[in-house]
Amino acid sequence: MTILVIEDEPKTGDYLQRGLAESGFGVRLARNGRDGLHIAQEEEIELVVLDVMLPRMNGWEVLAALRAAPATAQIPVLFLTARDEVQDRVRGLELGADDYLVKPFAFVELVARIRTLLRRGPVREDEHIRIGDMEIDVLMRRVRRGGTAIVLTAQEFALLHLLARRQGQVLSRALIASQVWDMNFDSDTNVIDAAVRRLRRKIDDPFTHKLIHTRRGMGYVCEAEAAPAA
Amino acid sequence: MTAGWRQSLALRVSLMFTLVVALAAAGLGSYLYRTFVTEIERRDDIQLLGKLRQVQMLLGRPGAAELLQAQPDYFRDTMSGQENSLVHILAPDGRVLADINALHETYPLPAAAGAAPTLEAIRSWRTRSGAPGRVVAGSARLETGEVSVVVARAYAERSAMFARYRQQIAGAALVSALGAALLAALLLRRGLRPLRSVAEHASLVRPGTLAQRIEVDGAPSELLPLIRALNDMLARLQEAYARLSGFSADLAHEFRTPVANLLGQSQVMLAQPRSSADYQDLIASNVEELERLARMIESMLFLARAGQDEVVLARQSLQASDELQKVADFFEGMAEERGLAFDYAASGSVLADPALLRRALANLVSNAVRHADAGSTILLRAVARGAFMELGVSNSGAPLAPVHLAHLFERFYRADPARSDADGSTGLGLSIVGAIMDLHGGEAGVQAEAGSITFTLRFPIG
Repeated sequence: MTILVIEDEPKTGDYLQRGLAESGFGVRLARNGRDGLHIAQEEEIELVVLDVMLPRMNGWEVLAALRAAPATAQIPVLFLTARDEVQDRVRGLELGADDYLVKPFAFVELVARIRTLLRRGPVREDEHIRIGDMEIDVLMRRVRRGGTAIVLTAQEFALLHLLARRQGQVLSRALIASQVWDMNFDSDTNVIDAAVRRLRRKIDDPFTHKLIHTRRGMGYVCEAEAAPAA
Repeated sequence: MTAGWRQSLALRVSLMFTLVVALAAAGLGSYLYRTFVTEIERRDDIQLLGKLRQVQMLLGRPGAAELLQAQPDYFRDTMSGQENSLVHILAPDGRVLADINALHETYPLPAAAGAAPTLEAIRSWRTRSGAPGRVVAGSARLETGEVSVVVARAYAERSAMFARYRQQIAGAALVSALGAALLAALLLRRGLRPLRSVAEHASLVRPGTLAQRIEVDGAPSELLPLIRALNDMLARLQEAYARLSGFSADLAHEFRTPVANLLGQSQVMLAQPRSSADYQDLIASNVEELERLARMIESMLFLARAGQDEVVLARQSLQASDELQKVADFFEGMAEERGLAFDYAASGSVLADPALLRRALANLVSNAVRHADAGSTILLRAVARGAFMELGVSNSGAPLAPVHLAHLFERFYRADPARSDADGSTGLGLSIVGAIMDLHGGEAGVQAEAGSITFTLRFPIG
């Protein structure tokens, strides 16, 4: 899985390269549009993370060139924009971009979007999810841990289902708010923290092995083994 | 020329004024001339009739017929008196008894109009040189019988006098028109001085001098609406400018605290080697500060775009109770921790952009959950009131002084300055609510009663 990052801002490029590599992707970094387009045409690239404001050849031109050539037309493109203008977003999507993020964005948000784009095709929802000794029956909305049935409210179940579905992935608070409650704006972080605390009281507090973990400054992750912060 | 005509009010008015004066002077002059000419001609005609009577009387004297025969020269001298008097006496048989015509003019000889002709009997003629002449004929009694007397006169001098008079009138009209033009230009310059002073005032307006107003006293009444409109505009600009510069100052201040924290704690940590746990703590803390900054920036951008009407609304008809329920669900966890319950009294539907409505409601409920008395109930209401759908969020809590209520929707306004950043709020939540309501053509309001505070969102129906 090689991701091409086309980003001219030095610090942004560096942390994207490092962060994505540490998230398990192969990363190629290009500092300008022309080099980026060249790499996309010459190498096996699975996905392009494209900054819009680029020297020499801007992101729109790179995107148009990628879509114009048959070899690169199918590569998913996620573009990054610093200007949250409607016409910018519309233009990017019209030119064939698959998704976008507005700077500043949370890194975990970027990783989540990349994973979604790479999954391709319709996502098959598992009917049963198992994490450690926890079993989730998605259709019946039932949760058991070590043989004990846990009663959750609808909100709690939706939150747990999201965390479990994306087990092992760090989910940002904004993503959680958007996916569970359809609140698509940067809200008060305390709200998500309180909701997770409530869920933990039922899922984790009575048990020794914790399943929901806080990644400070990033969000929450659900996994059986507490891995070091990625 | 045409451009000047269109652009200069003074030039336009001066020219029109001059035209009016010229027309008036020409009209008056020609009227006076007409009257003068008529009067002179009438007097000349009366004189002509007098002359005829004189000749008739002379012919009526004893021995006149004889004298006419014997001494025509003497008679001529007696008759003519003036060079330009022409007298022609005809016997009934057509014989010319006398013809006094020194200049040998040819003039018509009308039939005698009785013994005493009136003014109407006078006919006009022209001399060989083109001068006007008048002629009248009357009958006279000579001893030998009735004769016809024709008296005529040429008025060469009179034409010249009339021509002179015409020239004088035209000259006077021209001079008065020129005078009027000059006077109009001068008066307009004077009259438009208030306008120039308004322009001078307006040209002096700078961001720093927005408090100044254009003088209303002594301004002509025609300019008062303009001056008032300009002053109102200045007042609005001043208010907006003050708000904007206050906002920039607040913004800088709000940014200073997190940036100072970021700088300070990072520098302290870098001063010595630390354990990796310390570094992790630092970075996590930095991330928290930065997230708050990012949220603030997002909110600011939202407000800026809303202020410039760049936010596109996707209005839908939404069930008010559903929307309130959704937002309350979002805050369920937080409310539970503080022992708060939600109560609903909602009916009807609201026409709004769902994302923005949710954002506005979430900001209000977030405030309510934060400030409600522990263990109390937050009331979520929706009710149609006249032309508005009113959504309300009420919570019990410490009373808020009335002085704060009016300012609650201002950016960065905090009723309690001490409780600024600890809870992670940006101080922009309620101003975003206000902006969202402005976008919907509605309004946000707040009422405080004993021990409770209610925020309302009024959406126009339909």
